[in-house]
Amino acid sequence: MPIIEVNNLTKTYTTYKRGSGAKDSVKSFFRRERVVVNAVDNISFTVEEGSICGILGPNGAGKSTTIKMLCGALFPTSGGITALHMRPYADRKRYVGEIGAVFGQRSQLIWDIPPIDSFNMNRAIYGISQADYKSRLDELAELFELTEIMHKPTRVLSLGERMKCEFIMAMLHKPKIVFLDEPTIGLDVIAKAKIREFIQKMNAQGTTFILTTHDLEDVKQLAGHVIIINHGVKVFDDTLQKLQLNLGEKKIIELTLEREMDFDASALGARLAGRKSPLELTLEVDMSQTVISDFIEQLSKKTGFSDISVKELPMEEIITRIYSETVS
Amino acid sequence: MKLFKRKIDTLIAVAFVTFKEWGAYRTHSMVSIFVGPVYFAAQYYIWTAVYGGSGELNGMKLAEMIRYFGASALIGYLVMDFAAWNLNMLVESGKFLTFALRPLNHRFFAFSQKAGHRLLGFVLEFIPCLILFALLFKVDMRPAYAGWLLLSVVLAFLMNFFVNYCLGMFSFWFVHSGGIRMVYGLFSSVFTGMLIPLVFFPKPLQVIQLFLPFQYTAYVPVMVFLGRYSLGGITLPIPAIVGIQAVAVMTVFVISEIMYRAAMKRFTAVGA
Amino acid sequence: MKKLLAIYKTCVKTALNRAAAYRLNFILSFLITLGSNILFPLVTILIYNSGASFPEWDFYEVLLIQAVFTLSHGLAGIVFNEVLWKTMLHIREGSFEIVLLKPLTPLFFLISTSFEPEFAGLLIGGGVMFGIAAAHTGIASALAIGQFLLLFAAGFAVMAGINMMMAATSFKWVGNSRIPEIFESVKNFGKYPAAVFPQIIRGLAAFIIPVSMIGFFPAGALLGRLDLTAFIAILPCFLFMLIGIWLYNHMIRLYEGVGG
Repeated sequence: MPIIEVNNLTKTYTTYKRGSGAKDSVKSFFRRERVVVNAVDNISFTVEEGSICGILGPNGAGKSTTIKMLCGALFPTSGGITALHMRPYADRKRYVGEIGAVFGQRSQLIWDIPPIDSFNMNRAIYGISQADYKSRLDELAELFELTEIMHKPTRVLSLGERMKCEFIMAMLHKPKIVFLDEPTIGLDVIAKAKIREFIQKMNAQGTTFILTTHDLEDVKQLAGHVIIINHGVKVFDDTLQKLQLNLGEKKIIELTLEREMDFDASALGARLAGRKSPLELTLEVDMSQTVISDFIEQLSKKTGFSDISVKELPMEEIITRIYSETVS
Repeated sequence: MKLFKRKIDTLIAVAFVTFKEWGAYRTHSMVSIFVGPVYFAAQYYIWTAVYGGSGELNGMKLAEMIRYFGASALIGYLVMDFAAWNLNMLVESGKFLTFALRPLNHRFFAFSQKAGHRLLGFVLEFIPCLILFALLFKVDMRPAYAGWLLLSVVLAFLMNFFVNYCLGMFSFWFVHSGGIRMVYGLFSSVFTGMLIPLVFFPKPLQVIQLFLPFQYTAYVPVMVFLGRYSLGGITLPIPAIVGIQAVAVMTVFVISEIMYRAAMKRFTAVGA
Repeated sequence: MKKLLAIYKTCVKTALNRAAAYRLNFILSFLITLGSNILFPLVTILIYNSGASFPEWDFYEVLLIQAVFTLSHGLAGIVFNEVLWKTMLHIREGSFEIVLLKPLTPLFFLISTSFEPEFAGLLIGGGVMFGIAAAHTGIASALAIGQFLLLFAAGFAVMAGINMMMAATSFKWVGNSRIPEIFESVKNFGKYPAAVFPQIIRGLAAFIIPVSMIGFFPAGALLGRLDLTAFIAILPCFLFMLIGIWLYNHMIRLYEGVGG
């Protein structure tokens, strides 16, 4: 059953061009040049209750605008959203009482005092009874294996610890839908894993999650449903399996050769994706065909190299590919 | 009733958190324990010299003048406001979003914050300075009408809050609304009466003050403390001026309500 | 010395360019700095308008004291005001190392990058006040001008000392934006004829925290109304500045010791 339905959602901004010099600023005082930006352009999708839905896209693609509208913090220019049988922007106060949000870059925690005091403030704001609050807090703290750090001032906590507390703060009132904007940004590998595990556990209890992220790994480990937005337009909306089928298991390998030589990538089962200089190569390897350790072993047998790095396919690349596929 | 209880619960929780938050910087508030008496001492000697032999200036006696400055400093600690600065910062940094995502009215939240912040001011500024004024300078700090004074201080508290919150709301429309705030601050430091009793100003300037917000945040409660109010040649009984103060607060409240709705509309349309 | 002057000149130019680039902001803060610092002469005007006075001082004489105070304040503001805020920001964000990494004395580096043309408003405002007041009071003698300049320089040293002490305090009292209020309150005793205050305050204001030298003493010289006290007080003024500089440098040494 869909918990969120989005129909032809559109958001346009009108901004004004500003000149730089004194002459321009005087001119713009009287007649300003309007610039209309389509941040989100006619997007429709549904999110099933109890799912984890990942929204992907490069910076400025319209992810944040979309999620803000879903949260009720932003009014759509046209089109509609129905979530929890409400229209988020019209029933804002009632609606936000039933959702939770963690915006990675904008903390709810108060800097100079322990998180536990911030939690108690949200208890009052959301009107949670003392008994519910206590049992919920115990449950969440146990899930995150947090106890004493809740009693230390926020400013002395590590980024990972702070993020865990942000999650607790957003989950106290048992929200039915939780929105996460870049929840793992800047965290180390262990903290990321912990956050993901937490999301999975809460999801198993029935909470629906919507997350935007730059980190493909977040999506791979969490999301069953993936939506990709680029330039305000939806370019992909399907299961994770379908996405992986589309892309294959591609990795990008950047290689610096020791000396100039001819290089036959196809002999290694790779594709030469670029050559910045005679010594610097970019290869694309399909991981469904080989294992990374085998590939590097083969590579080192064939050629000497002074540097190597293995990366995921960049988001822009994925989108270009998906985009070209959807067009054709 | 349930909604009311929840509001009170929120007010207490937010006030407590703010008290604790700023309590971490209690030594900053305690600067007042030095600065307050030093300023007061300067005023004490300046006005004592100015009065010399003369009995009254603009209808005020020296003892009254000293009490005036004592009360205006103390009331200042109770009603001081930072809502404009705070809202300005929230909107500019984009942190206002975290409030839009919670089921509460930010103006109410800010009001609760002020309650906590001023409670701290009461403990760390008001009480110590009151003791110093009364014991060190032997100033009679007993109000003429305690009940009216309390009411007037509460109204001044509200007045200062609503005005400042309105100033802060300009940041939803203008990027550099800090300038508006500073200009207001400049005018208010002249016309609240903290600098000098308003009766010292030329008459037309005094009359205008009846229609501006400034005097309702300091001059009015201080005159209620002294037990008599006059401005611009008009003398009013205490209940009357406190009544007028209440009307002024209501007016600013209504303006802030209209602005708040417009600001929320603006925020949800643009998303600052 | 020549090299230092060249550096300072470059920094001043940069500050002026910045002010020109953000002229709207500049004009606004210029006016607000001026407005908020000439409120106390307003009190004096209102006092004299209501028929009262400071005993044995006429209005323009008091205005002259306050004009000199404002001039001193403006000049010191241009040169030193930002040192406190720069230090405070660096300490709070843990970036004071940036200052220590420069191949210059930290204090010189901070002062040269702290040039703040916004305070020129005070200089102009003080100048206008000075002109009006002096036109009415007249100047006692040519010697009086010499004495005035000497005492004004001593007052400037006091302002420098105050600014150094404030900045030094911000090392320990992290992020406290109320530090200036402490010194601002004490400066009140230099804005009025000293006879207003009791003997003990006059002594403190002349020799210990010599705020009398910021306004009262130099103006008194112009009016020919000085006693020997003012000249004896010159030495404590420069001592005060040296203590301020020493304190600031001491805080830097402590910071280096603890830092890392």
